[in-house]
Amino acid sequence: MTARLVRFAFVFLVGAATITGVVRAAAAATRSSAEPVPILISRQLSTRAHVAVGDVVTLATDPTGTTARTFRVAAIYEPTPDPMRFTAERLEARVHLHDLVELTADAAVPASADAVDTINVRLIDPADAGQFASDLTARMPGLTVRPTSRPPEGDPFAVLDRFHLAIAIVTVVGSTAFLLALMVIRAEERRETIGALRLLGISRRSLLIEVAIEGVLIAAAGAVFGALVAFGAERIVNRVFQTRYDTTLVFVRVTASIALRSIAIAVPLGIVAGVGASWTLLRRDILTLVRR
Amino acid sequence: MTSAWLAWRTTTRYRARSALAMIGVAVISALLFDMLLLSHGLVDSFADLLEHAGYDVRVLSTEGVPLLRAPIPQAAELAVAVGQLPEVESVARVRFERAVVTTQGRPDVDVALLGTTATGTHAAWTLLKGAELPNDPSLERCPLIVAQRLATAWALVPGSTVSIRATLPGRQSALPAVGCRVVGTADFLFASADEYDVATTMQGLREVKGGAADDEADLVLVASRPQAGPAAAVRAIAKLRPDLRVYSNEDVVAQFNRNGFAYFRQVSVVLSSMTVVFAFLLVGTLLTVSTNQRLGEIAALRALGIGRPRIASMLLYESALLVGGGGVLALPLGGMLAFGLDRILRQMPGVPERLHFFVFAPGALVLHLALLAATAIIAASYPIWLTARLPIAPTLRHEVVG
Amino acid sequence: MMPRATIVEARGVSRVFPMSAGPVNALRNVSLSIGTADYVAITGPSGCGKSTLLHLIGCVDTPTSGAIVFENRNVASLSEAERSRIRLMRIGFVFQRFFLLPMLTARENIELPQAEARVAAAARRARCDALLEYVGLADRADHLPSQLSGGEMQRVAIARALANQPALLVADEPTGELDEETGAHVADLFDRVHADGMAILVVTHNPVLASRASRRLTMKSGSLTS
Repeated sequence: MTARLVRFAFVFLVGAATITGVVRAAAAATRSSAEPVPILISRQLSTRAHVAVGDVVTLATDPTGTTARTFRVAAIYEPTPDPMRFTAERLEARVHLHDLVELTADAAVPASADAVDTINVRLIDPADAGQFASDLTARMPGLTVRPTSRPPEGDPFAVLDRFHLAIAIVTVVGSTAFLLALMVIRAEERRETIGALRLLGISRRSLLIEVAIEGVLIAAAGAVFGALVAFGAERIVNRVFQTRYDTTLVFVRVTASIALRSIAIAVPLGIVAGVGASWTLLRRDILTLVRR
Repeated sequence: MTSAWLAWRTTTRYRARSALAMIGVAVISALLFDMLLLSHGLVDSFADLLEHAGYDVRVLSTEGVPLLRAPIPQAAELAVAVGQLPEVESVARVRFERAVVTTQGRPDVDVALLGTTATGTHAAWTLLKGAELPNDPSLERCPLIVAQRLATAWALVPGSTVSIRATLPGRQSALPAVGCRVVGTADFLFASADEYDVATTMQGLREVKGGAADDEADLVLVASRPQAGPAAAVRAIAKLRPDLRVYSNEDVVAQFNRNGFAYFRQVSVVLSSMTVVFAFLLVGTLLTVSTNQRLGEIAALRALGIGRPRIASMLLYESALLVGGGGVLALPLGGMLAFGLDRILRQMPGVPERLHFFVFAPGALVLHLALLAATAIIAASYPIWLTARLPIAPTLRHEVVG
Repeated sequence: MMPRATIVEARGVSRVFPMSAGPVNALRNVSLSIGTADYVAITGPSGCGKSTLLHLIGCVDTPTSGAIVFENRNVASLSEAERSRIRLMRIGFVFQRFFLLPMLTARENIELPQAEARVAAAARRARCDALLEYVGLADRADHLPSQLSGGEMQRVAIARALANQPALLVADEPTGELDEETGAHVADLFDRVHADGMAILVVTHNPVLASRASRRLTMKSGSLTS
């Protein structure tokens, strides 16, 4: 399995170790050696291993358990959902850094007691991230220093955004064709009525305005209904996938901006379709309209 | 004067609405077709890439991302041991590094450097010009196969020389650049659009890394004997070295299907379902409105003795014409749309250029046609029900009064 | 002269329509018999139940009480498919609004009931040509309804009603949408059809058409008077 291919799926997992926390040297010094060390475990691990708060568990870094240590479950946490890993079963635990080092350090390698995978840095001004990364790399060549915000060209979610936009455009084109077909039928249904009104002297302009107003009302009502359906679908999709993958990740979010944008596209489309279909009728000779 | 013929005449009579409905069906069905292609496309394409090099088993040190994975120590010894297994036909070791390539008058370029013992037909590239890496490493100190894109950009041909310097992650490095000779240019199977690939022998890789003896490999590739098959080879290697992770191509594809591909599979399922429902709603609405417009006509036909089955089959054929006509248009449209969507998705960083998200599969076409047929039938069911229970006399009366 | 046989008989039929504002008694205990070569016209004010009676006799509707017996068969005991068969083969319907299929030519409209009766294509064409000749529209065979005048459309509709050689021609206000002169032409055609032995039941406001009938009945408030 090649590095490149897997990297495309997990490129942002560099440094995504489960270790967070602060080395509490003072606390460790006063802790009794017989007392199990506190540990936090993920909800998923708690369910899978049938472990509850207060239980004492044993962790080891190898299957034979030669470096095993006991820990007391201090709390159960919900892992921060990661969209790049939503299919992964989040069986994870969190311990103080020095406890993990004690558990994993190799006595034959002194430096292993002082080794970490990642150091996270919070800057006073996040805008300095790029400059900070450059400065640090220059001072300590060999380090991989990376801002957490992705550049647009390296962001897979930007690509997915474009993908979804393309699909949305296709759907709008398809729906517009159907909408036009329905409007044509509707206009044809009213052919005699329109013909009679024209015979009475009602102008094309007046009829078009009436159609346009009708179109605004119907299109607005339809668009609002569509937005409500979208909100409903949002709940269903999120519920289904959150249950399926046992995650709190939000898969679909219909924001006010998205709803408004949808309405802003749907309403003019509805009006144009209605007016367009009616215009094909209005420009015909009056007598052909009233003739059966 | 069959029902199909009557439906055809009705469809052609109302040309504008029929054409618009077919266009709508075509566009929505094209999207449906593409989502069905997406449901397996990436996995099929990935499987093809894996099979292309001719190896069907992969050996790794641990699970997890390559960037965090430890290399396999004593890889040469492992390769010899694995090669002696009766289930195994050939073995190759692979090591990945990052490097910087320089040449006179051009800025440095970061490349993905691949050191390997695989060559010829069993390589992860297709040779375009020049020769393969030599089997005997002593023949050439640092031979290179460079990606055709890099060769084109730098006007490199077999025989050109470039300087190459390894960049070792996580370590301070002041390795000198090594002069290497380009022996061939190739298309790399797993190369992404945003990076260049260069391959060399294990000896060449050692040279680039400063000559340090390094018997590690990131990956050991194994080709099983045809008589034994990959499953048997996996079992044999796992028994030989239970500390390592051994996967057949099928296992890798299955894992990819579960993890890396999950998002696209879900998108495919959700969008396929939505487009089918959408198409059904739209065709159903169109047919219902159209039928409502003709209720007087239909009541008159019933009064004349035209039976319910004839009218029902007429409506069914009308639905079939709309959906069928749109469905036929959907195939070339879907092809073009798939091409466009594939281009968008392949812009993802790190995606091999030869990997495709939308791959034609006969099964997808069959499923597409079946779904369209079901849509046509279900969409016509409500209008058929309407006309079946149509009260003739009141309808005729209503038409006169109306 | 053909011996008179009863084609259809209404025996004390009533028809009640349940409405939201209360039931409407459209027909009250009406009895009527139509035999071979009868030409019956029913007149009366709007809403008196003429069309309702016509629909019952034409097997388009079923009575609330009483019986409609068509060629010795109680229509109420028949399935919808059987009633449909009677309408196809034994009754010819002519409507006020013609109801020609707009996408079919004059010939194809006449062919349609024959196709439903599974008449062979060659026989259908021959019959269509004969009927178009009969109604005086042989030169308009390939015209769509939109290309015909009102009178021409009604003549095509009459030809369609005669396509399967029914026993009874039923017409609901056949001249309702036509001018006086055209209506007179249609009345002439009805005369001709009757003279050729067809039984006719026509509901009409047109006094000229009504006067051509051999038996004129009047309806008032759901009941028949002579």
